[in-house]
Amino acid sequence: MSNFAALPSRQVTFSRPANIAQQPYQQIQQQQAANSGLALPYSNAYLPGPSGQNNLALPNPVPSAITPYQTQQQQQPLSSYPQSQMQVQSQPQSASSSQTVVASQPAPLAGPSTPGPSAVPSTPVPLTLEQQHITAVEGIVPTLQNIVATVNLDCRLDLKTIALHARNAEYNPKRFAAVIMRIRDPKTTALIFASGKMVVTGAKSEDDSRLASRKYARIVQKLGFDAKFSEFKIQNIVGSCDVKFPIRLEGLAYSHGQFSSYEPELFPGLIYRMIKPKVVLLIFVSGKIVLTGAKVREEIYTAFNTIYTVLCEFRKP
Amino acid sequence: MASAYYEFYRGSSIGMALTDSLDELITSGAITPQLAMKVLQQFDKSLADTMVKSVKNKTTLKGHLHTYRLCDDVWTFIVKNPTFKMEQNELVSAPKIKIVACKNGDAIEAGKK
Repeated sequence: MSNFAALPSRQVTFSRPANIAQQPYQQIQQQQAANSGLALPYSNAYLPGPSGQNNLALPNPVPSAITPYQTQQQQQPLSSYPQSQMQVQSQPQSASSSQTVVASQPAPLAGPSTPGPSAVPSTPVPLTLEQQHITAVEGIVPTLQNIVATVNLDCRLDLKTIALHARNAEYNPKRFAAVIMRIRDPKTTALIFASGKMVVTGAKSEDDSRLASRKYARIVQKLGFDAKFSEFKIQNIVGSCDVKFPIRLEGLAYSHGQFSSYEPELFPGLIYRMIKPKVVLLIFVSGKIVLTGAKVREEIYTAFNTIYTVLCEFRKP
Repeated sequence: MASAYYEFYRGSSIGMALTDSLDELITSGAITPQLAMKVLQQFDKSLADTMVKSVKNKTTLKGHLHTYRLCDDVWTFIVKNPTFKMEQNELVSAPKIKIVACKNGDAIEAGKK
């Protein structure tokens, strides 16, 4: 129990079956999309519990008719899996990681199915690039900077109630018809609309985005609304990186005129609209690149690998 | 007229003192409750105007913003471990404060609890 206090919330997994953990991200995305239409089991990760995490933007407990959801979660010491670890799931571990724990008992139950501290987690450890068939060119991999996702809470919301009772909320209907709410972990911002639709921005990974969205849904639920967590979809992924050499943007704009738009008087970067994958790149003289418009992270990686060879051609002498 | 001003200054020590005095006067039969209400409304108005016109002191504060809220044009901030730096370089700290900032027409008032 004592190790719970030190656990970051990233360690809590959300109902992702362990058997898809080995698949490439794209398939996971599809799986998630398929899942989101269903009634997903709610994790109790937002409830004050032995995890010692209560840094949510929650008001004082509001009585609500929330039934105890079942969770499929597994919590383990951080030290048991470094982020770079390859995820190799053996059969018994897969079985144990899909165990269901009742919401009121978030602590791992002592039993034969309890994973030992050395067990490989079902926690979404980012897949290594090799597993995703992505080769890092010159050791450069774009870092994800922002992920925008949408969720349908599937219930009409009274925004004033939310603004009055939730913490870290802004509601100024004269300016914008949504409540702007923030949480600190994962550091994100949500726009919550009266229709029940929600936009969550600022996450740095797909899992953080999903976790944050669930936290917001839980906050709304705690305020007494019958909020569901449906139609979660990642709408945009932004990444950036540095190729560490200057680039001749005019040359690039000239020979890739079909994809490029370079107006240095309007914007110092070259806007490159790649068709496959459909990603927009901002390329700067300094060699800094911003990639945006992707729905899955692979598109960012492939777009970068594609552009890298082109950029080498237009390296400034 | 009454609705145009916030009543939160009634909770300040000066407002409490005024309310107590008015209560006493009502109990002794010196004034009517209606008159007392009128006095309190005037107090709301006067204090709001005075805060805007006459109070020129400034302070800066640093701390951890624990919670913020904007609803009905009222900002609420809960700041943990704030340190106020007054004009004479005097430092004042507290474990936790709540700042309520209201907008009132063209006048802007701020109250501290």
